[in-house]
Amino acid sequence: MPDSDNNTNSVIAAIDVGSSAIRMAIAQWDASGRFEELENLSRGVALGKDVFTDGHISEQCIQAACETLRGFRKTMDTYGVQKYRAVATSAAREAVNTDTFVDRVFMRTGIEVEVIDGPEENRLTYLAVADILKDEMRKGNKETLLVEVGGGSADISFIRNGGPVHAGTYPLGALRLRQSLAGVDRGPGHRVAALDRYIHTTLETMKRSIPFEKVSEVIAVGGDVRFTARQLEGAAKHLYSIPRSDFLQFCDQISRYDEDQLVKQYHISYVEAETLVPALRVYKQLLEKTAAETVMIPTANIRRGMLLDLICSSGQGNIEELSREILSSAREVARKYQTDLNHVDNVASLSAQMFDQLRQDHGLDGHARMLLQAAALLHDIGLFVNSREHHKHSQYLIGSSEIFGLSARDAEIVGNIARYHRRAMPQRSHPSYQNLEAAERMEVCKLAAILKIANALDKDHTQKVQRLELEHQDSEIVLKAHTRSDTDLALEQVTLQKKADLFEEIYGKRVTLQQIPGAD
Amino acid sequence: MANESLYSRFPAPIETPPPELLINRELSLLEFNRRVWREGMDPETPLLERLRFLSIVLSNLDQFFLVRVARLKTQSLANESSHCPTGISNADLLDAISGKAHDLVNDVYESFAGLVSDLRQAGIALVSLDELDEEAHAVLDEKFESEIFPALTPLAVKQKRPFPLLFNLSLNLAVRLQLRDGGRRLAVVQVPATLPRLIEIHAGKGSQKTFVLLEEVVARNVSRLFLGYKVLETRMFRITRDADYELDDEGAENFIHAVEEQLRRRRINEPVRLELQSPASPSLTRLLQKSLRLTDADIYPVRCPLDLRGLLTLCDLPGFDTLRYPLMPPVGMIAPIDRQDLFALAAREDLLFHHPYESFEPVVELVRQASVDSKVLAIKQTLYRTSGDSPIVRALEAAALNGKQVTVLVELTARFDEERNISWARKLETAGAHVIYGLEGFKTHAKILLIVRREPQGIRRYVHLSTGNYNDRTARLYTDMGLLTSREDIGSDASGFFNAITGFSDPPSYQKLAMAPLGLRERIISLIERESVRAREGQQSLIRAKMNSLIDLPLVMALCEAARAGVNIQLCVRGVCMLRPGLPDFSGNLKIFSIIDRFLEHSRVFHFYNGGSDEVYLSSADWMPRNLDRRIELMFPVDCRAARRKVLQALDIIFSDNTKAWDLQTDGSYAKRSPATDEPPIRSQYKLYEAALRQLEQQLQEAHFQLRPIEAR
Repeated sequence: MPDSDNNTNSVIAAIDVGSSAIRMAIAQWDASGRFEELENLSRGVALGKDVFTDGHISEQCIQAACETLRGFRKTMDTYGVQKYRAVATSAAREAVNTDTFVDRVFMRTGIEVEVIDGPEENRLTYLAVADILKDEMRKGNKETLLVEVGGGSADISFIRNGGPVHAGTYPLGALRLRQSLAGVDRGPGHRVAALDRYIHTTLETMKRSIPFEKVSEVIAVGGDVRFTARQLEGAAKHLYSIPRSDFLQFCDQISRYDEDQLVKQYHISYVEAETLVPALRVYKQLLEKTAAETVMIPTANIRRGMLLDLICSSGQGNIEELSREILSSAREVARKYQTDLNHVDNVASLSAQMFDQLRQDHGLDGHARMLLQAAALLHDIGLFVNSREHHKHSQYLIGSSEIFGLSARDAEIVGNIARYHRRAMPQRSHPSYQNLEAAERMEVCKLAAILKIANALDKDHTQKVQRLELEHQDSEIVLKAHTRSDTDLALEQVTLQKKADLFEEIYGKRVTLQQIPGAD
Repeated sequence: MANESLYSRFPAPIETPPPELLINRELSLLEFNRRVWREGMDPETPLLERLRFLSIVLSNLDQFFLVRVARLKTQSLANESSHCPTGISNADLLDAISGKAHDLVNDVYESFAGLVSDLRQAGIALVSLDELDEEAHAVLDEKFESEIFPALTPLAVKQKRPFPLLFNLSLNLAVRLQLRDGGRRLAVVQVPATLPRLIEIHAGKGSQKTFVLLEEVVARNVSRLFLGYKVLETRMFRITRDADYELDDEGAENFIHAVEEQLRRRRINEPVRLELQSPASPSLTRLLQKSLRLTDADIYPVRCPLDLRGLLTLCDLPGFDTLRYPLMPPVGMIAPIDRQDLFALAAREDLLFHHPYESFEPVVELVRQASVDSKVLAIKQTLYRTSGDSPIVRALEAAALNGKQVTVLVELTARFDEERNISWARKLETAGAHVIYGLEGFKTHAKILLIVRREPQGIRRYVHLSTGNYNDRTARLYTDMGLLTSREDIGSDASGFFNAITGFSDPPSYQKLAMAPLGLRERIISLIERESVRAREGQQSLIRAKMNSLIDLPLVMALCEAARAGVNIQLCVRGVCMLRPGLPDFSGNLKIFSIIDRFLEHSRVFHFYNGGSDEVYLSSADWMPRNLDRRIELMFPVDCRAARRKVLQALDIIFSDNTKAWDLQTDGSYAKRSPATDEPPIRSQYKLYEAALRQLEQQLQEAHFQLRPIEAR
């Protein structure tokens, strides 16, 4: 929030410790909400090089990373940056000595690096992309592929009508590809052929979850593809739109060079040259699988997403926007498991209404609201496996589904909420519950209690209750359910008595249902 | 891209430059010095300024021998084949250089002799000791006894022993001695560099000034050093040694130390030239020649005095204003600048400064204001060849002490200037500044200043970019252009630049700037080619470029291609130019000239007509491989309309000079322009000064008529 006396806090920073480089963006936003990036620093540090071969971040890399981050720290200090976030992605995620790495960086630089998982990485990148493509992505009926080839992995999301449907992280990072093919050394031609085979095999496995042939638009993100855009279009832009044939031709042209030639020809560093060809081969094959006529290349990156996220978390942005995307993805998963969508939509809506009117009682934030809604949408997917113990099936299915924008931790919480929507109350003896931290356990209880009641209100899956009003009394909460005048809530009354156990224990209040007919 | 078929109507591009298209760079440099000499012998030039020009020619020659000739000799000795793309062999080239250099030195000394008698008539007399009266001799003897004698150290030259180590370019006295037994010896006495070269006689008496040379006093009394010997002959001489070196910055624990070490080494390299007072006896000449292992051509017999730099104190002699150029004090800004908020000015619009017509003081003042401004967070700057006691360095020091983040890149490897650089850099560091002592493998020649400021609306960056160094002294003598801007794109590029040179980040991809060695040449080539494409399409086209040297072959080729495509190309190249104009098949469409006047032409300005939407760039880089490949240099656009108009108007004036301009002829010589009978004389440096005065006047008037509405509260 810009503060007119002292706007120190309006300068924020985002650091991204990637597999081939460490990068930082420093930005400010002013009173009018204008957002301006002040600094963009990038230094090639190939953490991934060692990780993807022997699993370790080498001592040399740790030192180089510390050195780089110390420089970043100094730059942040110039602006008096207080608020920042530093994340590390796939290389750090996979290394066996990640803890040492994070600790060494902290001791040397005071920067606390947070190792984030694939979905969180996706979420952050998506924030940046969505910010640039706001209007573009809303445009009616179409299917879009959002691709970012990083150093360690490739993040690929399938978006339908502006909402993410499927998101996955695949081992197609450029540096990883390069390292795994390091043995192939019979000229660029052979290397490219080997690369293509490897990529092809991985993409084949994706066909089940992504209908490539329906994709009419490809959005590509990442340093390598931005380089391509600059080469093809010259001037720096916010959003490039490259014709399919130009893009494919450039990929082929550049694949003919070895790294020395790339450095010479394009004045890029060796670190950049190393990832260029492998990354472009991935983009190329993906593009070829689709029917897209152009490649959209927004100058979006994870740092931009982090900056936007930082602004959001300080109350500047709109969390609704992201919740929308996550919930749309969750709903898509529910559809995949043939859930009764009318039922879960209704439960999600009732849950949210209760959540909002219980703010004084649970004290949770908008993020928790989103988790509750996601759990409501997903609570029944276990029925796909078996109706017996379906809450348990729901829990593990949620854990193994890639839900866009939902971090592993979030998914665990959602799974737990869904699990406790029926039957047993949360217990420390349940391993997945016990794995949570105390605060998270409390959150699960509070949210599961709400879900359980909301679910009871649509016991017969006919969505009789659309609007819910909560009346707070001393020791009781009255659920005033607005229904049509001919509606009978007898079944719900009975069910509620059985399902209110968790709520009463957690919130310390009895729950009664009162029908308000006449909402015709 | 233009229609492919268009190209077919034109001759195929030339791949490598045909040798006849090129002029050898060493010979071109000698031509440049010849033009400076011509300015120094021109009776129109005030007497003391002529002395300055003659001295400049000689010190230019010093550097030329020290570096270029030394390198050629080494190559020649190692039997390396010629590196010159004109195809001339090293031996032929050395012969040609020697011929031209001998001629030039003779010409300079002949002019000097005439100048001495002219100066004497004007009241400044440089006399020989024989002309002095008894009284003066008595004073000089006393002076010798008390001040000079203690500073003298005779060195014996012994056969089969190395020649005494004499400082490169130092002034020495060779003394041929005879022993009582008839045996002969040679000794050397260094003329103390710590004492002034000129000794005034009868100081304070009358308006006539009389001087004698220190070395003459030493020579006259030299027998005092060699008691028991008979002095047969005394002659002045000076040795030039190879100073061409590549600094090895790998493994040097302390970079400063490495430079200091390099300075010490410089005096023991191989001699490449001997200047010897003439007439000298054949036996002395032979003796020196043998000891120093020099050829006949390496010996430059000169009439006294050697090394005219020591005489430059005459140029500043008070009271002889008519013997100097009329004063042209740099034009300041509208109000006393210490009362102006320069940040507010720069936030409103880009400011373009044209030095030395306009004052450099605003730039100094900007750093000074920044150093005490509580809103300023950081100051980052490159400093190359800055004098140690410069106000900018003092302001930076103050800023660091005031807790600002100060980052300074000082370039220690500026040739011949290292000693001056080292001490003040250490001082800055002590004050808390982050001092970077150059970059491994590259000299940082870019001139850029970045000030980061926190303003109520947010962070704002102010950037000053220039074609000349942050040196308040040279800013009064060199023509340079500087741009002060608060544009976001340039600010962001400037941050990226400093992040790169501090090693905080890899070099960014710039929005507006172009940086050598990462793509500056390519950028210029693409600008030139764009002009060619337009010319081929039949559009009007024009390239005007002003620089100090044009040596880079790819750029020479690009220019020729453009000329062949029909682009109107006009180049103002002050010094070395390897491109030969006027060859019908290649460079017929190309005009090249050089300006030599009171200020040293130094700005690099490139103008592309671009189909009517003119683009103007300024740069720290000359079009030389050294600048484009082995230095960190910047080129920046002047995008603000008013500033661009100002640059274009300056170019109009410079390119129309018909008084101090020299046109490069196809044969490699230069012909001085003169106004045609019906043409007014245009001396561009004077016209530009008038323009600066007019601009100030206009601003004063505008300020007078400015209405200041009172904003509602």
